[in-house]
Amino acid sequence: MRKIAAFALLLALAASTLPAQKAGLSVPLRFDRYYTLDEVYEALRALHKAYPGLTKLETVGTSEEGRPLMALTVNNPKTGAPLDKPGIYVDGNMHGNEIQGGDISLYLLDYLLGGYGKNDELTRLVDRACFYVVPVVNVDGRYHFLADANSPDSNRTLRIPVDDDRDGLVDEDPADDLDGDGNICVMRKRDPFGPFRTDPEDPRLMVRVKPGEKGEWTVLGDEGIDNDGDGRINEDGEGYVDPNRNWGYDWAPPYVQGGSGEFPFSGAGLKGLAEWMMTRTNIVFVWSFHNNGGMILRGPSRKGLGEYPAQDIAVYDYLGKQGERIIPGYRYLISWKDLYTTYGDSGEWATATLGAYFYCAEVFMAEAEAFQGASERPAPGTARERAVSDIFSGGVSERDRIKFSDHVVQGDLYKTWAPVRHPEYGDVEIGGLVKMSSRLGPPFQIKDLVHRNAMAVLFTAKHLPEVSLEIVEVKALGGGLTRVRTRLSNPKAMPTMSALAERADLYPRDMLRVSGGKVVAGGQLVDPYRDRVTYKKDRPGLQFLVVPGFGKIEHQFLVEGKGEITVLYESRHGGKLVKTVKID
Amino acid sequence: MTIRRTLPFAFILFACAVFGPAGPSGMSPVAEGLAGPAAAADLAFDRYHTPEETAAALRDLARAHPGFAKVHVLAKTAGGRELALLEIGPETAKAAKALPAVFVAANMEGTVPLAGEAALYLAKLLCEKAEARSDRTWYVLACGNPDAASRYFAKPQRRDARNARPWNDDQDDATDEDGPDDLDGDGIIAQMRVKDPEGAWIAVPGEPRLMKKADGTKGEKGLWKLQAEGLDNDGDGLFDEDGPGGVNLGTAFPHLFKYHAADSGLWPGSEAETYALFKFFDAHREVGLAFAFGESNWCLAPPRGGRKGEADLNQIKVPENVAGFINADPNKTYTIAEIMDMVRPLAPPGMELTEGMIASFLGLGAVVNPLDDDLKFYKEISEKHKEFLKAAKLDAKRLDPAADKDGSFELWAYYHLGLPVFALDFWTLPEVKEEKPADEITPEKLEKMTNDEFIALGEEKIGAFLKSAGAPDSFKAKQVIAMITSGQFDTKKMAEMMKQMPKKPGEEGADPKEKALVAWSDKELGGKGFVAWKPFKHPTLGDVEIGGPVPFTDTTPPAKMIEGLLQGQVPWALEVAKRMARVRIAEAKVKRLGSNVYEIKAWIENASDLPYPTAMGRRNERVLPVVVTLGGQGFDLVEGKARSLVPAVAARGSQAVTWIVRAAKPVKLEVRAETKIAWGDSRTVDLGGVK
Repeated sequence: MRKIAAFALLLALAASTLPAQKAGLSVPLRFDRYYTLDEVYEALRALHKAYPGLTKLETVGTSEEGRPLMALTVNNPKTGAPLDKPGIYVDGNMHGNEIQGGDISLYLLDYLLGGYGKNDELTRLVDRACFYVVPVVNVDGRYHFLADANSPDSNRTLRIPVDDDRDGLVDEDPADDLDGDGNICVMRKRDPFGPFRTDPEDPRLMVRVKPGEKGEWTVLGDEGIDNDGDGRINEDGEGYVDPNRNWGYDWAPPYVQGGSGEFPFSGAGLKGLAEWMMTRTNIVFVWSFHNNGGMILRGPSRKGLGEYPAQDIAVYDYLGKQGERIIPGYRYLISWKDLYTTYGDSGEWATATLGAYFYCAEVFMAEAEAFQGASERPAPGTARERAVSDIFSGGVSERDRIKFSDHVVQGDLYKTWAPVRHPEYGDVEIGGLVKMSSRLGPPFQIKDLVHRNAMAVLFTAKHLPEVSLEIVEVKALGGGLTRVRTRLSNPKAMPTMSALAERADLYPRDMLRVSGGKVVAGGQLVDPYRDRVTYKKDRPGLQFLVVPGFGKIEHQFLVEGKGEITVLYESRHGGKLVKTVKID
Repeated sequence: MTIRRTLPFAFILFACAVFGPAGPSGMSPVAEGLAGPAAAADLAFDRYHTPEETAAALRDLARAHPGFAKVHVLAKTAGGRELALLEIGPETAKAAKALPAVFVAANMEGTVPLAGEAALYLAKLLCEKAEARSDRTWYVLACGNPDAASRYFAKPQRRDARNARPWNDDQDDATDEDGPDDLDGDGIIAQMRVKDPEGAWIAVPGEPRLMKKADGTKGEKGLWKLQAEGLDNDGDGLFDEDGPGGVNLGTAFPHLFKYHAADSGLWPGSEAETYALFKFFDAHREVGLAFAFGESNWCLAPPRGGRKGEADLNQIKVPENVAGFINADPNKTYTIAEIMDMVRPLAPPGMELTEGMIASFLGLGAVVNPLDDDLKFYKEISEKHKEFLKAAKLDAKRLDPAADKDGSFELWAYYHLGLPVFALDFWTLPEVKEEKPADEITPEKLEKMTNDEFIALGEEKIGAFLKSAGAPDSFKAKQVIAMITSGQFDTKKMAEMMKQMPKKPGEEGADPKEKALVAWSDKELGGKGFVAWKPFKHPTLGDVEIGGPVPFTDTTPPAKMIEGLLQGQVPWALEVAKRMARVRIAEAKVKRLGSNVYEIKAWIENASDLPYPTAMGRRNERVLPVVVTLGGQGFDLVEGKARSLVPAVAARGSQAVTWIVRAAKPVKLEVRAETKIAWGDSRTVDLGGVK
């Protein structure tokens, strides 16, 4: 296995040194098909080349097989350095098979950069915020998902060998593409004692036999052979270390939750990425794109962690509900409650270690492939209920999907049963939904999906804190003492520090520093009409604070002396502001 | 050691002259061979070694014994120090090991210098005792937290388990800007007491060097504020709230890791040191036994339980949606074994159900208490340990070792790696003997005595009693006897008087550990374990007093004691190691079932006192089953698997593996049992010659 990995690495290295083969990729990018990993890299280079003044392209980590995790940072240096602005981080394709996140990320970049200087909203956004985009987190996964034979669900994991069947041999019995069509489908065998028979309506489908009925088929599972001769099929394939269970917050070992890896950040690329993110101290919001189900998920990811502080929930609710409107059909949900419990996922790490807000978007809804006319759809209200109870199928059956495949994409998503000679089972048939089905929309749907999801990101970006500093009053109190009042205000939804980050004391609060005179007393002005101030006893010239969302915070300083007084505001998430005032 | 120490100085000079003073990398193999033993001979246990000296000592051992010892540098600390590991064993030349290994992690908190010495002592012992390393590898991490360990040797000396990663403890505008300060320049960070109206502390009446919290209900009023010796360097009103230091590596492992605690770091493995250890253990699956040398001890008493976990494995509630599926009652509680019985009939044939699968399926969360089956061997070993200490004459009563800490190496190694782990500490302060003779007369005893009984005590005893009770000198025994005889006085009255007399100042309320420390300091250290309170003019607080316990006095005995303590105790690790699970093939039998068809049955036994694996190892499934194979040519398997998996073999237990084979000719086949952590075995079975 190691040998194979090493060989793949060599191939990858060889490929990366080759000149870009396709000259086809240029800006603006087209979103009429899913990009291979190499094309993602190429697209990033093309974007960087087209907008060199606004972008920085860098490698933030290296995968198990030696592929780079690449980040493109969008920042306008003319309006400030990245860390002096609020930042938003977007990633995708953490699970190898959930590839749309990569395309959403590229679309976001292409749209934002392409609109700069042309569209006022986009220009404003680029000028005031910093965008960190890592289109593909699981680079090995994307590469192999598209290059190798797979099912829609396979190739999710990191390429860390794990002895799944605990027999002392590692990754020795993966699925096998017996018919060589690039898909891992399902095998069935004629069996009069089998639990299924052919569906009378559609011979491609099978139905369960009723008691007393004669069977016709036994389903043998995913396409494959018993490579290690242990009597089981496909029981020890590639991995399994799940890249979204391997992060360093609330991590639990594999016996508590399968696939978490030997220890937090055992994934080499993830470790590099997390460490890089920790240095981007201005990241206020993190979006991570997965598939599928049509969900905008917030944490907590485990009930035992306790509900988030009310102030944070208010932010999530405001942005999440807007997200539901921007992407019709998507539901804004709570991860542990509405989906399932996870330990060591990237979202909880982003909120509880990085101190950001976080959404996980589960893009693509099965409804997009429902072959149902308007009058055939379940009545509103019930559909939602049914969808929540059956979150991934969304109430769409395999029958619907096959018809969708037949009539909307002329059969591209389904492989009709065909005979194959199996070394152990003899004559079998292979068929079913193909790799590019089920969790991925067909290419004609890509543009709508990537556009709407990118717009949900832009809405959150608009609500990154936007702090302004005013000196609202300078008043001589006599005896050489001056009263200086300041106001920090923020018309956007997000405060300069999440309540969760405050509670856990994750990083320094914003600082407001008065210099130039002797600050005798200083503190937060609680009531300007009654001159009520919570004075800070020590170092009154330096105040620690958080600027709330949709709100303000005011301070009062009593200053001795004359001359120029400087008020400096420095914040991880709110930027850097200076105001001066003369006292005479 | 003594012989090596007498190595002529002249020879060393000669060696230096010939080979030059080049460092390890510059040395020729010949020079290493010659200079090595000389250097290794320097390893004496008459002082504590700095982290650098510890690493050098490991290197010296490796150089002296190139055939079986090798140093691995696992990581560089934030303070630029090496995390050095000594490998000792027959397979140093191989990257992949065939033999099991023992891992020793010492001084993970960096605050227990003696633990580091113990690891060095063990390393030396292993180099000397070929039999202890002939069939296994030992990995000795003698200094698990080099940055913190260096503070013992620094001036001023202070106890702080954090590595040197810069950390903004108070989340202000500066990092590591307000640490403790040695105000009186005595090289020690002690305590500072300041008279303050809000002070909560008073001196212990019977031992005014010690401080206790005033108890208002007993009429005590607080007088002092007590804090560490230091300044408010950054003028924020707080003292010593952001000293140098980041992460306590001793609590930075994943099991029960405390997120957001002051010194646990960003995540388990956020530090180069811990991450390197995770990677090491992942790569070295041959480690089958671990020791943690530090402040806790799992040999004196088994690891503690009683933690509240997410689920109690004996009282599991089955969620409603699952309950219907497995025919369970969602309102009842079940044991995991009961649930397995319910699930088993539903599982597809041939599917091996494990507790781990069920627990994971039901979302039961992490195990937080030692499993009962494992407590059996822990109890047995602690009995044996008591005997061992008695024989070594090191069983004197001492203060209890520290409790194991959440996030510690030992918890991780047991709960996540599933290994048998033995924490060991090597010294705590001796218990203070309460010097109250059993026959002391108390008011309560006196009340119950008749006058005659009292007089029967005799003049001498009565005299001593009067003296100890604080009676005036004029009050002689003779007089008292006379008064009682004459009826002027009796035992009841005397008891009443005693009760009303002012009590001698007592030591109630003093911290027992501090009491023990003061007693130790007075008796063994000439008072040097405690800084007497002395007035000091503090720049911002004004008049204060500096004093209190000297750091490390309670964990670190004087250097002259090191060798005796280690000589007596460290060999225990070798005794425990002898009990490592050892997988063997006890017997292999062939039976002819018919023409060309044979049954082969092999009994896989664990020929040792520790189970294969621990119950925790079975639960977390990190330790692989014993893989039993049948090899050879000219046969077909009729029944059984080419690789049979035996998940567990109890201590001194055995498990049978059976195959039915067909062979045209009476061939010889080989049965092999393989493990990573418990050796293995093979046996040839001859199909010929059976009837």
